[in-house]
Amino acid sequence: MSEPILEVESLRVAYGRVQAVRDVSFTVPEGGLVALVGANGAGKSSVLAAVSGLQRPASGRIRFGGEDITRRPAHRRIAAGLVLVPEGRQILGTLTVAENLLLGAHRRRRQAAPESEMYDLFPVLAERRALPAGSLSGGEQQMLAIARAMIARPRVVLLDEPSMGLAPKMVDEVFAVIEKIRASGVTVVLVEQNARRALRAADTGHVLETGEIAHSGPASELLQDPRVVKAYLGVE
Amino acid sequence: MLQQLANGVFAGSIYALFAIGFTLVFGVLRHLNLAHPAVFTAGAFIGIEVAARTAIPVWILFPVVALFGAIAGVLVERIAFRPLRGRDDEHFAGLISSIALGGVVIALLQARYGTEPQSFDMDYFPNRLFEIAGVRVTLTQLVTLGLALVLMLGLAWLVSATPLGRSMRAVAENPTAAKVLGVNVGRVTAGTYALSSALGTVAGALLALNLGQAGRDLGASIELVGFAVIILGGLGSLWGAMAAGVVLGIAEALTIHLFDSTWKSMVAFALLFAVLVVRPRGLFGHVKVREV
Repeated sequence: MSEPILEVESLRVAYGRVQAVRDVSFTVPEGGLVALVGANGAGKSSVLAAVSGLQRPASGRIRFGGEDITRRPAHRRIAAGLVLVPEGRQILGTLTVAENLLLGAHRRRRQAAPESEMYDLFPVLAERRALPAGSLSGGEQQMLAIARAMIARPRVVLLDEPSMGLAPKMVDEVFAVIEKIRASGVTVVLVEQNARRALRAADTGHVLETGEIAHSGPASELLQDPRVVKAYLGVE
Repeated sequence: MLQQLANGVFAGSIYALFAIGFTLVFGVLRHLNLAHPAVFTAGAFIGIEVAARTAIPVWILFPVVALFGAIAGVLVERIAFRPLRGRDDEHFAGLISSIALGGVVIALLQARYGTEPQSFDMDYFPNRLFEIAGVRVTLTQLVTLGLALVLMLGLAWLVSATPLGRSMRAVAENPTAAKVLGVNVGRVTAGTYALSSALGTVAGALLALNLGQAGRDLGASIELVGFAVIILGGLGSLWGAMAAGVVLGIAEALTIHLFDSTWKSMVAFALLFAVLVVRPRGLFGHVKVREV
């Protein structure tokens, strides 16, 4: 593994008086797939909100490609290649599929992939390109949300609960897409409630509990760790 | 009768121009900018002063006025709305602070121009009279209608087909999603206010050109009708504001023709009342900025 492309150091995130993330540190190697798993409300999404620039951290530091980006606005992080696929997809339903993609590309005009490349990758979007994105099914909207991030040709993509609310067959498709992204050399940080699926896809995992990292290690070891199995994986 | 219809369309195009600026800010940002009438008044005074000082022709005058308006719009947002951002009551607080800022603007105009109305030079703009199909129209009225049409269609095009418009529709629908996609929400906000106030000041200068003069109460005189237009058209709807502007203009003109001018406001508000009873969202309530 090479130099870390993303480093999170002593991150604290608070909403008013509520501490969502207490003291989280981890690094993501270039080309790696790191999973953050844990129960609802453990602070996983708050970590991604801080890393992507949607939420200003209370303290701590975030480095991307060796540069401190803790205070950079979200749009400049995207321009640098750090792109979030948000929880709940956040599709712009009244805009067309094509317009959603164009918005995904607009911060990285020079690096961005052509729209057609996304349609090759996600054929279902090609047929619907002129339709309002709100008319897509949940699974299709998730594909659009991922395509909207990938069109920016990110260096790191942050996926927040990509399988949430999807039918099992769509979950399989989403994970197949994640494998493809990973295979293309893009670094992935994956936040999931579906811990087993996430850890199977990942090479490193961190288990969050009430805003802190409780367990860390190679994903294959976490899958065997009795404490993790008992709390998050259950019996298969 | 035809003459009254034509007069109604000319007046209505100014109402519509006033209204689309206001409704644009609401449609994109959910702000009710009650400083808009004061900015409208300022546009009239600035137009008159620039015309008197430089004697530039009218097709340069309006871009200059629009530029002043754009700057004013950015300032309105910075002063009346941005400091309140993130408060629970930011929309209501902004409404109040924009009323206050509007008052300040009117006071500043009074400090600079005094309490007397300001006038365009008699010969600033040649007021030729045409007769088209038995209807008499002045050159000023034709310019007004033409400019209003160009600006309204231009705005509709900008919102539906340009990157800025796409960003505006993204912010209108979901500011968080827009931010996730890297839309610079601060810049889109400033751009929206700049456009809105540019349209407002041009509308003010156009009304002044039609009247030949402008007083401090120019904005107040159009304010209520303008808001009726906005609500009639459906708050946030650009096409609605355009259509409702013309409808109200015609309704007023016909009232003057059939009764007399003291009844014209009553008709405007009776119409508003009737529409709100039948269609609480306004005539075009479902067609928002983002769907232009």
